Amino acid sequence: MTQSHEAIEELLAGYVLRSLSGEDAAQADHLLSDHVPFCPVCRDSLAVFQGVTADLALAAQPLDPPETLLPRLHRDLGAKGARRRPVAVFAVAASVVAVVGLAGLTVSQGVRASDTQSRMNDIGQAFDFARRPGASMVPVDSSSASTDPITEISAPGVQEFFLVGRDLPSPPPGTVYRVWLISGTDPTFAGEFLPEPDFTVVHLEFDPNVYDSILITVESAEAVPTSPLDPVWQAAS
Amino acid sequence: MHDPVLDDLELHRRLDAGDRGAFDELYRRYGPSAFGLAYRLTGQQVLAQDAVHDAFLALWRAPEAFDPARGAFRTFFLSLVHHKAVDTVRREERLRKRAERSANLEPVTGEDVAEGVVDKDFLGLRRQEVREALTTLSPEQRQVLEMAYFQGYTQAAIAQELGIPLGTVKTRTLAAMRKLRRVLYRED
Repeated sequence: MTQSHEAIEELLAGYVLRSLSGEDAAQADHLLSDHVPFCPVCRDSLAVFQGVTADLALAAQPLDPPETLLPRLHRDLGAKGARRRPVAVFAVAASVVAVVGLAGLTVSQGVRASDTQSRMNDIGQAFDFARRPGASMVPVDSSSASTDPITEISAPGVQEFFLVGRDLPSPPPGTVYRVWLISGTDPTFAGEFLPEPDFTVVHLEFDPNVYDSILITVESAEAVPTSPLDPVWQAAS
Repeated sequence: MHDPVLDDLELHRRLDAGDRGAFDELYRRYGPSAFGLAYRLTGQQVLAQDAVHDAFLALWRAPEAFDPARGAFRTFFLSLVHHKAVDTVRREERLRKRAERSANLEPVTGEDVAEGVVDKDFLGLRRQEVREALTTLSPEQRQVLEMAYFQGYTQAAIAQELGIPLGTVKTRTLAAMRKLRRVLYRED
């Protein structure tokens, strides 16, 4: 780290205001992943600046939203399938996942001793899912040819799907993988995860059929997920 | 006497469990502030409504995006609204007509909270503190903060608009943020 804290603080002030662009924005991204998570001074500055910017919102005159907004929200709360739960991420042993799609396998044989019953249930769910009639397994293309693809497992008429990745590289410190579902130009943040050893399985309670594509990005764990960065992986949904 | 911060945490916990009543209560608490902010940024009812809609819907669909360890719910949610509104402004740049902004865009100092606004009691005290804190900034500092936060300008665009070096914009922004930090967070 060659930048002074003064310079870093300057970038953080611009970052929390969402006013950085170009090289400054790129520098801030690097700082947020490589420096800020490990620097108490910068962590504190970022947290307080975020509080200050949120307080700035109160300087605007509060206005009652249009009466139509809450009913519109109520309608949309139940749209596009049931309300999803947080992304469930779990690792499974290679011997188990390597045979996904083969009927009749005894799941418990390949599962590590440390895995819990709930993880077993999740794995069983993934197995069941892959065996559904018409279920498809589609590679989620990587922007890097050297990276193994993630596979999307979905089934017709089912408002949930799985992402399975093998030997996913860990994202840089302070960052996470984020899953975005794109409908037209509108991104929906679906959740974030960190890879597990061997296999990583992500369960998403969204209907993949109502989205145009899936993006997986690497983003700062500190950043509020509002719009996706450049994807590491992506696929048509 | 309820503690609004603890109440927010409890409401978020219930929201995370799928409680629509908690969603409605958070909407009641934050809807006016969110809409006021979004309207100030976008200058248009429809765009403001879309931004607030998207923010509340994102909250409902991914409540775990708020981590209590990282700060107050108010900080998280109003930042989310701001981000949505800035995205909207930038996407709809061609629709923005700054000259036609409503009375909501008058200078913030000395404004009275609108009569009948439902969150008056909930956020009123902090709102007053923020407005007083803003009066401690120099006009130059307020200008860059206003353009960045309430108008969605990038620092580069501010420099261009004002005809000043980018470094000056950065310096003024940092000075403004530090001063607000000292005043609002009682830091020396």
